[in-house]
Amino acid sequence: MSTYSPQFYPGTTQPAVNRSKYINPRYTWEKLRSISDEDIVTLLGHRKPGEAYSTVHPPLEEMKEPDCPIRKLVEPTPGAKAGDRVRYVQLTDSVYLSPMAPYVRTWAVNWRYRGLDAGVLSGRNPIEGRERDVEKATKELIETEVFDPARTAVRGYTVHGHALRLDENGLMFDAVRRYAFDKEKGVVTYIKDQIGVPLDKNVEVGKPLPEEELKKRTVQFRADHIKITDDKDLLGFINRIFELRARSGFNPEEVKSL
Amino acid sequence: MSEREKLFYKALRRKFKESPEEKYTTYYTLGGWAQDPRKREYKEIADNIAKERGISFYNPSFGCSGAGLGQRVIMPYLISGTKTYGMPEDIHFVNNAAMHQVWDDVRRTVIVGLDAAHTILTKRLGKEVTPETINHYLEVLNHTLPGGAVVQEHMVEIDPRLVSDCYVKILTGDDELADRIDKKYLIDINELFPQDQAEKLKKAIGKRTYQSLHMPTIVGHLCDGATMSRWAAMQISMAMISAYRLMAGEAAVAEFAYAAKHAELIPMATLTPWRRARGPNEPGGLSFGFLADTVQTSRVKPDDPAICGLETLAVGSIIYDQYWFGSYMSGGVGFTQYASAVYTDNILDDYVYATTDYVKKKYGGFAKAKPSMEVIEDVATFSTDYSLSQYEQLPALMETHFGGSQRASVIAAASGVGAAIATGVAQIGMGAWNLSMLLHKESLGRLGFYGYDAQDQAGPANLWSWRSDEGLPVELRGVNYPNYAMNVGHSGEYAGIVAAAHVARGDAWCVNPIIKVAFADPSLKFDWVHPRQCLAKGVLREYVPAGLRDSIIPPLR
Repeated sequence: MSTYSPQFYPGTTQPAVNRSKYINPRYTWEKLRSISDEDIVTLLGHRKPGEAYSTVHPPLEEMKEPDCPIRKLVEPTPGAKAGDRVRYVQLTDSVYLSPMAPYVRTWAVNWRYRGLDAGVLSGRNPIEGRERDVEKATKELIETEVFDPARTAVRGYTVHGHALRLDENGLMFDAVRRYAFDKEKGVVTYIKDQIGVPLDKNVEVGKPLPEEELKKRTVQFRADHIKITDDKDLLGFINRIFELRARSGFNPEEVKSL
Repeated sequence: MSEREKLFYKALRRKFKESPEEKYTTYYTLGGWAQDPRKREYKEIADNIAKERGISFYNPSFGCSGAGLGQRVIMPYLISGTKTYGMPEDIHFVNNAAMHQVWDDVRRTVIVGLDAAHTILTKRLGKEVTPETINHYLEVLNHTLPGGAVVQEHMVEIDPRLVSDCYVKILTGDDELADRIDKKYLIDINELFPQDQAEKLKKAIGKRTYQSLHMPTIVGHLCDGATMSRWAAMQISMAMISAYRLMAGEAAVAEFAYAAKHAELIPMATLTPWRRARGPNEPGGLSFGFLADTVQTSRVKPDDPAICGLETLAVGSIIYDQYWFGSYMSGGVGFTQYASAVYTDNILDDYVYATTDYVKKKYGGFAKAKPSMEVIEDVATFSTDYSLSQYEQLPALMETHFGGSQRASVIAAASGVGAAIATGVAQIGMGAWNLSMLLHKESLGRLGFYGYDAQDQAGPANLWSWRSDEGLPVELRGVNYPNYAMNVGHSGEYAGIVAAAHVARGDAWCVNPIIKVAFADPSLKFDWVHPRQCLAKGVLREYVPAGLRDSIIPPLR
């Protein structure tokens, strides 16, 4: 019997290898900065730091659940166990070498976290789940190499900016100006939460990565960096997907001859 | 490919103060929404209206979640292929009178064959039908169709100023008959089309004769597309009764009505199902092939399939994306930004011509390549790489198409049009569109949005599906095709791919020769030869549409 070994992502160039690495749950994202739990809660804006979680049902252990084989098989996430409501974090990635991109983050979230539902748009990447599960993921998504304070942003709405030129400090445009560059400290500081509500206490998310570092860590192909056409392995994979779908879309038997 | 001047470069210089290559700029100090003259104008007018009606009204300060619109530069837009710039508001379909008419001209049109009626007249009623009687009938119908009375006394008639755009002409492939029809009632194929196209069209239409009927634009506004064939049928019947002196109400008259409503009717668009809730002659039922046949650029530029594709794309994007999806799925600001990317700033023009140059050089001309997966891969890879590279080398261009769906539509359209031109097969163009989307998504790690991307991920799987209930040739698909029915930024492009394929092959029409000829009529209100120039007139507020109510209202203050 053959065994299945996930490849995560095809390709041999650096952006492709980075994708494969970031998605692979056996790889630990490199921690580049520390943000306190309290600051994560502040940034998300769903509850005040220290405030109890709002719930939509009692803790599961207090509920009489039906006898169900699926419930026995699937361990509930901490948020589900506690009955948390469903909340979100939403991230925007600049086209200018942000370490992550919406599809890649979504694939990574799907491999690495249970109970989170990620959506993909060009300018935003909403991730929804039980509140404490979202908080845990957000902390990892911001503290590690898959986030850059200047080219990645936390934005609940009015996300416009991923494709715009950078500002004079190299920051991605944000119409709501949730964050600013602190020139003295050299760090990016959020002065509003993800939905644009001004904060009582600012949240620092660290120093922007140098351009060369971004080039090493990004998952994005670019004409001024590494183009997708430079990666023959990946191109061949895409063409094969297209051909398989086109030739055998309504007749899976056809796949055998391709 | 040799370096040539990018067609979009001038527009980028006009839009931004920095060089298009500059990656950095300043924000937040540009004057907010007040940097846009249209928004200033709207605000002033809206303030007065709010005072008059006592209810608050438009206020651009609500934009950007209260930060106010205009934290970045509000860009003017060049209408591609013209020298006309406008502000974004000028290309919202509600604000542009030419955009009203491009759809009105389609909705108000039905085509009805005359041969069945002539058979009834001659065989059943013993009447003589000659070119002279046909001319007389057309004169009467040009009276009844806009709301004039015949037969009965003391009828209520319509103010001619309200319906001055309403008329009927005929078309035929019979040169002998055409010669004897009064010129004012004839859509003259020989005069309007290049000789080779005219011969093909006449051969296809043969000796048959069709009426091209255009109901009043104002009726389309007040009623709907489904009204058109009913309106036409009643007036045709009345004109027949009057012109041929028939008994009003005799059984044979019902045959005229049946022929006009059903047997001889060619509607522009078919009925949409209940969940879309529109009758015939509404955008949801307009096939890509029919739309491609309305656009007449191929008559004047038969050797340039690229421009024919681009002009068709513009019309398709307005009708399908701005009108149809933009109203039933959105409303309000609608889908202007998604749709207008394909007909502004010469960006798609640049990508399409770059791809066309590549195709000409690689395959030795238009429609020379044998359809194959290899051609799809070759053209889509070149075109997608070229187009993506422009965005990545020119930050101003990337900022112009600030949404992923805009970039995806434009890039895939260039790939699709290019492959269609290479092979002369629209389905191959669709294949290149689909592959371009896959390449784009994997390159950037993003594409458009949820549902936008879903259509293109699933697209290759229904590319070759032609069996009933599973698919159709792309010419016969439309915005209500399964998988296309809830998605902006695709369908106008598909129509452009169809047009480019058929012009590349040297065809005189895409799907229906009768529609191609009907829309060659120079009396139509919209300019179907130069759609983008006509849209530009709308941007400048110089276009006068039909259906105005000035004659029955007090002068505007």
